[in-house]
Formats: sequence, C-alpha cells, structure tokens
Amino acid sequence: MLKMQDVSKVYRTDLIETHALRNFSLEVKSGQFVAVSGPSGSGKTTFLNVAGLLETFDTGIYELDGQDVSRLSDDARSRMRNEKIGFIFQSFNLIPDLDVYDNVDVPLRYRRMKAAERNQRITKALELVGLASRTKHMPSQLSGGQQQRVAIARAIAGDPALILADEPTGNLDSLMARQVMDLLEQINEMGTTIILVTHDPELARRAQRNIHVVDGLVIDSAPYERRLGADERAGAGGSMPA
Amino acid sequence: MTLNLRPLLSSLLRSRTGAILVALQITIALAVMVNAVWIVSQRIADIEQPTGIDDDHMFVVAIAGLGSGFDLSSALAQDLAYLRGLPGVVAATATESAPLTGDGQGTQLFLQPGQRGRSAALGVIQTDTQGLRTLGVSLIAGRNFRPNEIQPFSKHSLEQSVPEIIVSRALAQALFPESDALGKVVYDGAGRPMTIIGVTHDFMGPVGLGNPKYQTALYPKTPGEYGAYFLLVRTVPGRLDVLMQTAERHIGASNLDRVIFFAHPLQFYHQRMIAENRNMAIFLSAITAMILAVTCLGIFGLATYNVSARTRQIGTRRAVGARRRDIIAYFMVENAFILCAGVLAGCALALATGYWLSVRYDLPRLDLYYLVGGVLFLWIVGELAAWQPARRAASVAPSVATRTV
Repeated sequence: MLKMQDVSKVYRTDLIETHALRNFSLEVKSGQFVAVSGPSGSGKTTFLNVAGLLETFDTGIYELDGQDVSRLSDDARSRMRNEKIGFIFQSFNLIPDLDVYDNVDVPLRYRRMKAAERNQRITKALELVGLASRTKHMPSQLSGGQQQRVAIARAIAGDPALILADEPTGNLDSLMARQVMDLLEQINEMGTTIILVTHDPELARRAQRNIHVVDGLVIDSAPYERRLGADERAGAGGSMPA
Repeated sequence: MTLNLRPLLSSLLRSRTGAILVALQITIALAVMVNAVWIVSQRIADIEQPTGIDDDHMFVVAIAGLGSGFDLSSALAQDLAYLRGLPGVVAATATESAPLTGDGQGTQLFLQPGQRGRSAALGVIQTDTQGLRTLGVSLIAGRNFRPNEIQPFSKHSLEQSVPEIIVSRALAQALFPESDALGKVVYDGAGRPMTIIGVTHDFMGPVGLGNPKYQTALYPKTPGEYGAYFLLVRTVPGRLDVLMQTAERHIGASNLDRVIFFAHPLQFYHQRMIAENRNMAIFLSAITAMILAVTCLGIFGLATYNVSARTRQIGTRRAVGARRRDIIAYFMVENAFILCAGVLAGCALALATGYWLSVRYDLPRLDLYYLVGGVLFLWIVGELAAWQPARRAASVAPSVATRTV
C-alpha cells in the first residue's frame, strides 16, 4: 500500500536547515493498522504530510498503492488524495459553516460524483459512525467525539484505500477516545489500511505495528509490546540513530 | 472546476453580515454609477449639440431703465435703429429672452384651451421681423412675422394676446407628433389661441428653464415689461468685437436714464454652457470612480478577510482533494453570489433613481443599455477585485490542515 525508501525532507529558511525526515524508509501492507509514535519534533507529522501527499519530499522514492508519486503534478496529487486517502485530523477540521451532511459531502463533490451516489455514500458513512440522525446538525452543535466521528465519516465516505489519522483522539476525553479507536479498528477490519500518528501509548498498543520515529528516522518498526521491551533494555533514551 | 453551489450558498448565508454589507455597497455603486454615467453621457451629448443659431457672430447687450421717467419704447426703437444702421451688422432685434443665457421666459402650450390636451414646455423669444435673421434661424415651413403682427410695447405684456407664433421643429413635433403643425392653433396657459404661422429648424432658446432645449417659439412682441431688455445683434464674420464695443459705448452714452448690465458675445454663454456640462461630467465621473474604487476595496477586503479567516478550511479542502482551481472557483463563485445579490438590488435602485431623476429634474429616462453595461462592468470589476485574494487562497498548502495552531 505504502512504500517509502530513503525519503528525506528538509525545511530551509535563510538561517537554518531542519532535517525533518532522514532516509526515511517504511513499507505498510494493505489492510495493516500502523501506529506512528515518537517525541515532539521527531518528524511524525512531516511523515504524515508526505505520506498523505500534503507535502512534497526532497529525495527518495515513495510509492502509494503501487504508483510512484514523486513526479505527480499538483492536480494529480489532489486527485490521489481525494481517491485513495482519507484524512482524520486532531482538530477534526470540519467546515464550521456546513452541516454534518455537507461536511461529509466535501471530498465526494471534489470527485464529481453524481448526487445519488454521493447521498448513498454519505448515508452509509454516517450510519457507520452512528450519526445518521444528525445530518442537519452544525459542527458547533456536536460534541468533540461526535465531530471526530463526522470527520471519520468524511474520511471513509470516499472508500479510500488508506486512512491517515493525525492524533485523532488528541482533543477527546478517554471515553470518546476509546470510541473513536473502536471505530478505526472496525474500519480497519473492513480492509482499509490505517496509519495513526499518536503520542498515546494505549492507542499505539492497539495497532498491529508500531513505528517509532526519532529525529526523522524510523528507529523501530514492530508490534508495540516488542518495541517497548527493547526500549526498556536500551534505557530511558531509547535507541538513537547514528 | 467543482463549484458546490448549494453548500457554498448555505455557507455564505450562515456568515452573511460582511457579505450583506458588501452587497449593499455594490447596490449603491451600481445605482450611482449607471445614473451618473447616463447623466454624463447626456452632458457630453449636450456639449456636442449644435445651438442652431449663429452664436459665433452674435452679441447680446442687457439694458435696464432707471426710474419711472425712462421711456423704454422710444429708447428701444432708437437702439435698434442705431444698431441696424451700423456697417457690419447683419440684423438686430430686442427681446426679454436671450438664447443660451439662461435668462428668459419658459412656458407651456396646449392643444386645447383650459390647459387641456397634449402640452409641451418651451422657451420663448420675443422678437420682431428681424428675429429669424438675427438668430440665423431659417424657416422650413410657413412665413416670417409681418410688421403689423408685432405687438407694441406694453407694461402688461404678459396679458397681451399673441395671435401668431413661429415654432421650432422640435416644438412642432412635441405638439403635433402625427401631423403638420403649420396653421394649427395652440393655446397658452390662459387659454388664448395662437396660430402657428412658421416652423423653423431646431435651435436653442433660453435654455435651463425646465424646457427641452430645442423646443422654442418666437413671439411677435416688443419686450420691456420689466423695464429691461436684451439687444441681440448679429454681425458679419470678423467684426463682432469691434461692433460690440462700439455699440456698448454708443448705447451707454446715448441715454443716461438706463444702464448697461453687460455686453457679451453669445459665444460667452455657449462656452459657459459647455463648461457647466463638462464640469458636471468631470464631477460625476470622479464621484463614480471613487464609489467604484471603494466598492472594489470592499470586495477585495471581504475576500481577503475570508481567505485569512478560512486558511485552515482551505487547507482541509485541499487535503481532501480540492485542486487549486477549485479553491479559486470557490472564492470567485462566492464573490459572484455577493455580486449577484448586489447587482439585482442595484438594478432596482438604479431604475428607481433614474425614474426619480427623470421626473424631478426632467432628465431623459435611463437607457436600459446603460444599466446592462453597468451590470457587466461592475461584475467584471467586482470579480477582478476578488481574483487576487482567490489566488492567494489557492496557494494555501494542504499541509495547513495538519497544523494544530
């Protein structure tokens, strides 16, 4: 599904260069549920942006669903984001002036789907997240957990192969966070690949694989329990890249 | 492009205060612009309109008697005899209404007595048998006044009956649009009959009295009811200045019971009329330009604000698949909705204002082509004003969606 090899990304200003990703290599198979964790500034969000085609990268190879994305035009990247990727953001990123239905409709309209098909997909997605009765509600009328479920409905309505979730429970209390994770697992069980960026060890533990990123490098890629054991043996700082 | 009209409109209606204010601005701008341009076009047309008289070779002397001993009738006869005897003078006449000056008599004529039937407003020039020649106006039908038809001086000339009149073609058509005016009888406000004995080509009378400028009639009357009169003199080419100075000197010295208010070439008034029109056109154009500029700034400001306020939203739209041109289209269409609302209301206001101006100030009714042109112009300018902010919106990176601050 996702294959990155030696991908590098450097942010440059007049004064400094920040190496956000350094020879970042990772392969995620279809249907996997992967958690990406690491300390602040480690490059998790940059990885998510690059993986989600929200940003370009400087060097390396990135194939998404078998397609080399490094030379895609801006329009082609937009189309690929729309058709293959669903995004779930920490702050939900719902459009405040649109009701629940229209929020879920946004990516489908950009795909130029017919109204009937859009309606069918929106209804199905909202039913899945348990908000089919709230289509006319505005985001401000919903709780944080409900808003995140609308965002999940928006992400899955287009039937993407990959869902990228950026701290999806970061703004939720533990009960709502658990509900959102349950929902993501349910979606994963239906065959959608999920990559979850999180600080939360409990959430990371629920993923099939755990990618630990430090200073823009993948330093471990294993189930959570195995990585945790390795960290404990190595000491508090964990293993750092050479 | 994916326009998403329904959600876009519903989104716009949910945060509508700024949009309504800008739409109102567009409404006012359109109404002012269209009517101002219409008036400017009329003023420019006025500048280019011929006077229909030989004003290049005419001068006017304004005279008023002093005291009750002033014998206006004999003074006027002496003045005319003197002027007509001057070498280089083509013709001279006396009147209470000098063409182009704005001083004179305006009235209304009716097809039936008692102020009934079709009517027309007109400017009146009292004159004698030399009136047509002095003005340089030619008859296209009928005849000139005869000497015995000229009403003598009376201190109550307004009450005098004028059995025959000569009218301009514009006045003839206004009174008799479907038939020949020659020989027809019309009535003044007091119900006195007047027979049209001649029709001239169009010429401007004492303009600015509320009458259409080419609707003029010559009345065979000796002026002076108010103890004042104008002497109109037409000269041969190249002699106007000298003859005007000579006449002014002689008239001023020949009878000390009167004063000369002024002596001016008629071109002076024509140029003043042109300058008034030109200044009004410049003033209205400047006002229109300023209102347009303010409106464009309003549109630009609202679009810029919307882009700034919705940066995260734009990033999210880009993240979920919007292309740059979809974002541009979004803001341009949103602006088009505002323009549409403003322009629709603006059309109604422009028409209402145009109607009011036509009734209140006797202006020609607003030409709809100007309204259509104004709508198109404002639409294009309004969309151009939103273009830069829309392009800025399109440059928002999709990665903005993942920023938490």
